[in-house]
Amino acid sequence: MMTHVMSAVTRIKGRSETSDPTPGTVDEKSLYKKRKRRQGLRDDLTSFWFLLPILAVFVILFAVPLVQTLIYSFTDFNGYSMNMHYVGWVNYQKVFTDSSTLQGLIFTVIYAVLQTIFITVIAIPLAVTLNGKFFGRNFARSMFFFFSVPSMAILGLVWRYIFSPMKTGLVNSFLGLFGIDSLPWLSNSHLAQGCVIFVAVWAQIGWHATLYLAFLQSIPHDLYEQATVDGASKRQQFVHITLPQLVPGIVTSTFLLMNGGLKVYDLPFTLTKGGPGYSTYTVTQSIIQQGIGQSQYGVGSALAVLFTLATAVVVFAQMGVANSISRRFQ
Amino acid sequence: MSSPTISIKSETGEKRALSPMQKAKRRRLIVKSVVVLAITLICAIPLWYIVINTFKTTGDMQTNQLGFPKKWTLANYKDAFENIPILRSFVNTLIVTVFGVAFQVLIGAVAAYGMILRKSVFTSAIGAILLVAFVVPGQATLIPLYQMESKAGLVNTLAGLVVMYLGGAVFCYFLIVGYMRSLPFELIEAARIDGAGPFRIFWSIVIPLIRPILTTVVVFQTMGTWNDFMTANIFISSSNLRTIVLQVYNAVGQFSTDWPSFMTITVIALLPVFIFFILCQKWIVSGLVAGSVKG
Repeated sequence: MMTHVMSAVTRIKGRSETSDPTPGTVDEKSLYKKRKRRQGLRDDLTSFWFLLPILAVFVILFAVPLVQTLIYSFTDFNGYSMNMHYVGWVNYQKVFTDSSTLQGLIFTVIYAVLQTIFITVIAIPLAVTLNGKFFGRNFARSMFFFFSVPSMAILGLVWRYIFSPMKTGLVNSFLGLFGIDSLPWLSNSHLAQGCVIFVAVWAQIGWHATLYLAFLQSIPHDLYEQATVDGASKRQQFVHITLPQLVPGIVTSTFLLMNGGLKVYDLPFTLTKGGPGYSTYTVTQSIIQQGIGQSQYGVGSALAVLFTLATAVVVFAQMGVANSISRRFQ
Repeated sequence: MSSPTISIKSETGEKRALSPMQKAKRRRLIVKSVVVLAITLICAIPLWYIVINTFKTTGDMQTNQLGFPKKWTLANYKDAFENIPILRSFVNTLIVTVFGVAFQVLIGAVAAYGMILRKSVFTSAIGAILLVAFVVPGQATLIPLYQMESKAGLVNTLAGLVVMYLGGAVFCYFLIVGYMRSLPFELIEAARIDGAGPFRIFWSIVIPLIRPILTTVVVFQTMGTWNDFMTANIFISSSNLRTIVLQVYNAVGQFSTDWPSFMTITVIALLPVFIFFILCQKWIVSGLVAGSVKG
């Protein structure tokens, strides 16, 4: 296949002098223009056929449902009676007064922020360590990375057994060895919140360390050599070379974590089912619960609209930060 | 992975006294290796915990959680395959993943080709529109999509699930178009002059050239589709249509007290993921890097 392509390249090189028509007379010029326009329209049409499938996906799976969500959010639509009424901002008010939704909102934000902080603070030193020399390096790299490959839902279920409040739960029987009483890991609100965030950090740390590793490996090696010659210590090198060079990586990683954190559903749902009470309830679970479970389309949609705006703010903030950083570093 | 001290030994062929600095260096290396490997193994305890307990009886597990079984048994595996339609779930997941990913990648690749083929107001408008689709979270469209599929009779069917996954085509498009833009456009131009039609150019020139990014995208989307829990949990209710992740989720209710049985189905569910990981680690990493660059 490569030879085919290569011959095509040589052919166009040989042809480039002759194939460019230089129209002479006025008549030829208008004819050339006409032909060019027709060629352009034909190209438009071909490119349209190729774009048609993704346009269909966009219209059916994004545009129409998005508009519907927006409309539902201002109505009392419940899915059963077909006549819906405009109710103004009532659904939005409900979002901010309903205690379960509010708790879901609060926990989602706490979760997103804390997982972002913890993972960033742990993943960078981990990546630096995994980038260095030691025995069993490939094993350690693969092991950390592997945790992020299985479904979060399955990992949540596994940890549910590990955190079991019974004496036979792994964590509690470990505490028992030191004579510490069993703790109700998943049935105390604060402990449950901590457990969800802990498992999230455990599961995603390898993923983000791998991301940082990729950025670390693209740092030019001579920067460190020069610094060593100049007598900079390992810590100075980390602060003055590694960290600034990692800034684009930090921007991407924290963005992925914030964005993913706001959308979280699988892990809290399988680990705690959103409980105890609503202490680990999430926005997504709330949207699903109200919109599909209880047929309160209006409230669910209002929440979905607010949620979309919130994630859009995060996305654009990240884009802005990334742009200003890349400008400063160039 | 060999330390510098070892290479000195092999060069001279005889044991040479190490200088104090080299000794200190070697000691540091060993200490670091031990510490890092210890941390790695502590983090891996959950995996060891679920694997080793599948070979124990319930009673054995309660008294001895992390050790080797007193008596190795495969009864849990036999029970799991007898009581739970695991193979059926694997087939369901495979169907959904194969069709979902194939369509996503095909739609994304074709769209990327259409985009680079011609630059006009029309294509720039589509580019902007797709950026919007890229930013919209799936949760925002979930309620109307559920209604739509319910009207079309697609709820609780594997086809309905595949349709839901097609939204991933937008992500595939962004990864592929970035890569396609880096290709020399002269290749396409040359083929066109040689008389190849747009489809011919796509199949015999563009596709072979973008194979690296296609592999990355396929591996990455396969992982996402295989692991999906949210969509499957919402759209699938019949037990014979469950994907493997749903099957594990339901096993918790079924085996609330029989922990080894739950661990067994989890291990069975994770086994293909593990094999996939071993085979595709390189591409998963490249997908992770490419995907994060695109944001």
